[in-house]
Amino acid sequence: MIVLPMIIEQRNKQEWIAVKNKKILLVDDEEQLLDMVVSILKQDGYTRIRTAVSVKEALEAVRDWQPHLCVLDVMLPDGDGFALLTKLREMTDAPVLFLTARGEEEDKFRGFGLGADDYVVKPFLPRELLFRIAAILRRSYKEEASKVRLAACEVDFERAEVLRGDQTLPLTAKEYELLKALYRNAGRIVTIDSLCEAAWGENPYGYENSLMAHIRRIREKIEENPSKPVSLLTVKGLGYKLVTGEKR
Amino acid sequence: MKKTLKLIRRFLMLMICIVPLLFILNIALLAKATWGERSANGGWTAAGEIGELLVREENGEYTLAEEGRRILETYEAWGILVEDGTGDVVWYSDNLPKEVPLHYSVAEISWHTRGYIADYPTTTGARGADLVILGHPKTAYWKLLWNTFDYDIIAGAPKYILAFLALNGALVFVIYMVLAGRIMGSVKPVVRGMEAVSEEEVYVREKGLLSEVAAAVNRVNEKLRAQERALRKKENARAGWISGVSHDIRTPLSMVMGYAAELEADESLPAEARKKAGVIRRQSVKMKNLVGDLNLASKLEYQMQPLKLENLNLTVALRQAVVDFMNLDPEGKYPVDFQCPEGEAVFIRGDKVLLQRAVTNVLSNSQMHNPEGCHVEVRLQAEEGKAHIFLEDDGVGVTDERLQEIANTPHYMMGSGSGTQLRHGLGLLIVRQIAQAHGGSVRIDHGPSGGFLVEITFSTLNGQAVR
Repeated sequence: MIVLPMIIEQRNKQEWIAVKNKKILLVDDEEQLLDMVVSILKQDGYTRIRTAVSVKEALEAVRDWQPHLCVLDVMLPDGDGFALLTKLREMTDAPVLFLTARGEEEDKFRGFGLGADDYVVKPFLPRELLFRIAAILRRSYKEEASKVRLAACEVDFERAEVLRGDQTLPLTAKEYELLKALYRNAGRIVTIDSLCEAAWGENPYGYENSLMAHIRRIREKIEENPSKPVSLLTVKGLGYKLVTGEKR
Repeated sequence: MKKTLKLIRRFLMLMICIVPLLFILNIALLAKATWGERSANGGWTAAGEIGELLVREENGEYTLAEEGRRILETYEAWGILVEDGTGDVVWYSDNLPKEVPLHYSVAEISWHTRGYIADYPTTTGARGADLVILGHPKTAYWKLLWNTFDYDIIAGAPKYILAFLALNGALVFVIYMVLAGRIMGSVKPVVRGMEAVSEEEVYVREKGLLSEVAAAVNRVNEKLRAQERALRKKENARAGWISGVSHDIRTPLSMVMGYAAELEADESLPAEARKKAGVIRRQSVKMKNLVGDLNLASKLEYQMQPLKLENLNLTVALRQAVVDFMNLDPEGKYPVDFQCPEGEAVFIRGDKVLLQRAVTNVLSNSQMHNPEGCHVEVRLQAEEGKAHIFLEDDGVGVTDERLQEIANTPHYMMGSGSGTQLRHGLGLLIVRQIAQAHGGSVRIDHGPSGGFLVEITFSTLNGQAVR
């Protein structure tokens, strides 16, 4: 049984398998909670899961097993998750997601400051956790997901090309950045401001018209009918959304 | 400072009134003291009268009439008559002291009429060409022997008097200002301390004239600060307690939520059971939100949530908040129409996370009250120095009573305990708290389409130097 059908539908199968094959280490002192998260992950198709209830166990697991993703609690019986993350960083570059009851902004900033990839505050809905885990894994191990199916074409991010029938259309640097930013948040709206920031960097004000021009050119490359887009949708006044997967 | 100036002015006015009063008082006292004084003029008149009352007998002897004798008695004076030409005394009264000479040269007469004969002050009168001299008791008069003034002094008298008065006035003023300055110097820190003591930590140096008052101000300060600290400690304890409870509730709630969601999605279960699991999940989400809201509300209430203020592009922050909300609504039951001023960015000084939280709360509120879905309009308007965020839905709206309730109920922490606010969640209260923490305001009303309307107003930085 799969909890996240919507998101999975949007990914191609190869990518799905790659993500579900990743090794995930869960660290929390509450064993019942570990049981539940394991059950959630298993239902979603993840098979390689290990748990640890203390800093000591977690470090052992990382050393012996080399997980692809660590999900850490902040409060552990023999130390805290922030310190654990610092130690982990000496052993592995695997992404880290904090799953904790500590919901203060300072804690979040601290976690991100130490290099965490995401921060989920308890209580959480399984959907949310799964979505975030999948997103981190896709982002961190993207070489396996460099080709994305869209309604009218396929985008090869590794080569910055759009494959359309037997045509190959190259993407410019800005188009590539924009499309990648949209793809990272596929199925979600990305604000005009975030897109401008992705393409033009810090202080991205005043680029809205340029952004519209670039979006138009991307559409010419990826859409069957650029004036009636089905993959790159406009959300008026707010931003854009990339719809991936098969034609619906 | 203004007040002390006022004080100085007041005292100056008082002094200006007092000085003429003193002047008048002194004149009056002088008049009173000299009223009963024997008039020097009387002595001179008496001398004249004696002259008239002397009778020359056949034998050339002089005798004084009875009336003349009475005059002499009245003045306790002796009298002589000096003959013109010879300078001899041709008559004298019976009580003539022995030391008084009986012959006078012209020079002596000039001296004696001006001053004294043997220390007796004299007055003079005429009897024909002869001279009457009265000698008064030694303590009767004090005579001015050289009673002459420089002509210029008399001629310039008005000028001199004015100059004297002006100099006197100036001197008094200078002395007063120096003294007042001194006093103000010691009063001012005390006054300042008293003015500030209700608001902030003060210390007044316990020195000088008002050291006791300064010490009292310092004691008041200590007492107030101690009370503030105690209150603060209590508030911290309460907020800390709420924070602790909400923390401890999170892990168990995770399991309720997680398993409920799992059961809800389990297709091997009967539909009825899955529906119930769905109810548990939805309610646990409500609890989650309530726990988070309670924590934030108590922190905002007790000012334990430090504002991370920055110069913020309100359009960008608002857009992000709206998009985050829409991304959590994949079915699109709550479409948001977003409008903002074209071209010009609206900047405010604010905490991005909290501002987005306020917007999210209003949107979630629309979502909570309209489970069937509704259309939301988010509109940013900017005018001179103010930014208005209108969040309006076309859902079920709000009754007038409820509107009244939201507007009139004070902070939930100070509520009467009836708990109406909590029953409806803390979302809108947090919106108000966040707006107030930014110096803004919130208006809640019926929307033009009958839905719910929230207007949040902030001061903008536009027009000021930004960045």
